[in-house]
Amino acid sequence: MNCTRRNFLIGGSTTLFLSGYFPKISFASMQKKNLIIISLRGGMDGLTAVPVIGDKRLKKLRKKLILEDVLNLNSDFGLHPKLEIFHKLWQKNQAAFVHATNIPYTGRSHFDGQNLMETGAHIPYKEKTGWLGRGLLASNIIGKGLAISLPMPLLLRGVPQNNNFFPSPDFVETKLIDQIYNEFKGEHNELIKSTLDTIRQRPLSMQIATDSDDRKKLALEAAKQLKDQSGPRVAVFDLDGFDTHAAQGGVDGAHADELEEVNKIVTILHENLGQAFDNTLILTLTEFGRTIKQNGGYGTEHGYGSAILMAGGLLKKSQVYTDWPGLKKKELFEGRDLNSTVDSRAVYNSAMSICFNQDPEFLRKEVFWGDELPDLSQELFKI
Amino acid sequence: MSLNFYRRVAFGLSPNENPDKDPLNWAINQLDTIPDLLWPGTIPTEKDLRKKYGEWVYGDREVLRKKFKNDKHAYRKAKDELRIKTGERYFELNEHAIRHFQTKYSKQPVFERFWLFWGNHFAISEKDFLAEFSTGPYQREIIRPNMVKTFEEMVLSVTTSWCMIHHLDNSESFGPNSKKGMEWGETINENHARELLELHTVSPNAGYTQEDVIQLAYIMTGWAHKWDRKNLETGDIWFDQEMHQKGDKIVLGVKYKNDAKRELAKVIHDLATHPICIKFVSTKLCRHFITDEPTEEMIDPVIEAWNKSNGSLIEIHKAVITQAYKYNEITHKFHPPEIWLMQLSRMFDLNIPLSFEKMNYTFKSKPNNRQRQLSWILREIGNSPYRAKQPNGWSDLEVDWVSPELLLRRFWFASVELPMLVKSGNRSHDFILACLKNNFEDHENMASLIDNFRFGTSDYDLGQKYGVICNLPGVLKI
Repeated sequence: MNCTRRNFLIGGSTTLFLSGYFPKISFASMQKKNLIIISLRGGMDGLTAVPVIGDKRLKKLRKKLILEDVLNLNSDFGLHPKLEIFHKLWQKNQAAFVHATNIPYTGRSHFDGQNLMETGAHIPYKEKTGWLGRGLLASNIIGKGLAISLPMPLLLRGVPQNNNFFPSPDFVETKLIDQIYNEFKGEHNELIKSTLDTIRQRPLSMQIATDSDDRKKLALEAAKQLKDQSGPRVAVFDLDGFDTHAAQGGVDGAHADELEEVNKIVTILHENLGQAFDNTLILTLTEFGRTIKQNGGYGTEHGYGSAILMAGGLLKKSQVYTDWPGLKKKELFEGRDLNSTVDSRAVYNSAMSICFNQDPEFLRKEVFWGDELPDLSQELFKI
Repeated sequence: MSLNFYRRVAFGLSPNENPDKDPLNWAINQLDTIPDLLWPGTIPTEKDLRKKYGEWVYGDREVLRKKFKNDKHAYRKAKDELRIKTGERYFELNEHAIRHFQTKYSKQPVFERFWLFWGNHFAISEKDFLAEFSTGPYQREIIRPNMVKTFEEMVLSVTTSWCMIHHLDNSESFGPNSKKGMEWGETINENHARELLELHTVSPNAGYTQEDVIQLAYIMTGWAHKWDRKNLETGDIWFDQEMHQKGDKIVLGVKYKNDAKRELAKVIHDLATHPICIKFVSTKLCRHFITDEPTEEMIDPVIEAWNKSNGSLIEIHKAVITQAYKYNEITHKFHPPEIWLMQLSRMFDLNIPLSFEKMNYTFKSKPNNRQRQLSWILREIGNSPYRAKQPNGWSDLEVDWVSPELLLRRFWFASVELPMLVKSGNRSHDFILACLKNNFEDHENMASLIDNFRFGTSDYDLGQKYGVICNLPGVLKI
């Protein structure tokens, strides 16, 4: 393990402070940029997804969870073998990771943590909108959010006219709508009527019936929509099952199964976005990482620091971006969890600034109440 | 008076009910007593189900996880067997049946609407295994009996219920100067205190500060699960003096002297009778029954009834209904998917929920599709009642329920699923026309929209008819 603490965070933000923010208006920025967030509910284990290489302490504490054949990233970090697509994209500078990162929440409750990962706030349930919704609204990007779920996720709330895609198990004849459309008269029926308009204008490909538990099909359609220059600019996927208290396993355990799901979605998005992948950022989001030590059931408990998996053509380069805190007992959070040295909201704020062509400083104020979130655009993304 | 009043305050009229000569009286007379639960099948107690909860959670946590630590497949299989044995996949289905049986057959449907309202005001959101084992009994045993008492009594009952305390982590809240707090270096968990202020009583309109939240959390420390090795967190609720923060507390400018378990009832009295609480909850009631943005003119008489009766829920409910009646012709209200489904079931006498004989469960295999049907439909239309995502419950605002997929799901239900729920004697066109006539002034216009299919009685034909009727503006909304 050759990682040492690095002080680039300060360097990054100072540079920006001196130079000011001048968004470049180029052909590239005229192209629609997509931001895709994949929520990993239950607490994704950053050390399983992006394990440190050769850390004796980790080996000792996780005897039954150690990965045998990790994919190679660099001298410090490997990659879980189920995250193949990220490895492939890594070779092309289209995958990167932020490690030892989390939202500023240390309470270890899924319930509160998932609320905070979506609102971006400090106190659970205090905010009723999501950081992504507020970011879209502040950037005046309306009606461009697509949720791959039936309820509108909290993450996207705060901006009106979002679309969602989560087809019913059987085909719905949308001609039924034509038969009653004209019955929606008067101001009090405006909202339903305009939503019926949205449905009627949906491309044929969205008018399907499917098993919405099959995330592959949903991802395929999302890719199709995102590829369209006039389509959505933001998509939100939801995965759960990362709460592996038992039989977490290594290469082939319960956590691996969940990572495989992430891999599938990103693979489909990559294959089907085509050129648009160059103008896309895919980021994962989770409520916390997991304990270093395995438990009696060869699983792990709720922890703190985790990792963000990133893919897309808007990444600056392949890298594991981290201010590595170390895994010695005194370096752990409360002596048990990987610490978080990067507020993951800084990553999301910077990603929004890139994808929405917005000043990160402005977004930080509008979306995150002016919290101290360094601009990481220069380090992580193509400006 | 329009027939839509029966949907505004209840679930519409079933084929064997007729409009009353005096709809206002009809509605108001339903509020004085608690109607019996009509479900002829099993109605387990909260305590029984908590035992099952324990069997499931500890059976998995302490036994299976250790036993199968090397084998995820064997672990999953054993876990599924435990699921079946403890009814983990069954009890929520049974609770949905109990609930929907009530809204379909109750002779006091207006009371049942208020039951749904309060269950959602004091919502238990999706957490741990509450929806599987506890939220249903909580609705029956905590919310329901309090509906003929005062608001204050209801708040106190809810706040000290096992379900709410588990939901909002009060068992993990220790007074930092309490015996256990000092010994274990523990401190407060503010969740429950914050929601008691924000959602259950005074709302942020009261302008409370973070310090108020902390002080209220201090008062609430000690109200917790009774832990022991056998029960762990599924023990009863008690007041643990050794967790309770010592000293006086000040909430919203009122001082509460150090008085152990009696502090809670005192602060709840002050919160539940606070003018801002009364206004907040009255507004929510009017929002539910009248319109999304009720005016002061609509709300004021409810506040007045509240003050006059010292918070008697019977009187408050009557005032709400009186206002709903008064504004019936000039306001509109959108109904969320579950109420819409309940109304369709009552108006068209659909074959849902399942009969109690068929709902009977053997604890030997997975519940069958028919047993799962109602819960599955609720999930597919996006409104599984005991699985709100947040402690603020399901939204009562149209804007939160009108997304493309959520509307499409209603078309899906009405045109694809509903025909399979039509009883064999009710497939004729005349039956539909009679139901429409019983519930809608403009039934002739509605009938004209489905006239093309008047000779059809196949599932497809019924789907065409119900797909149209159930999604008309006057059915989605009143």
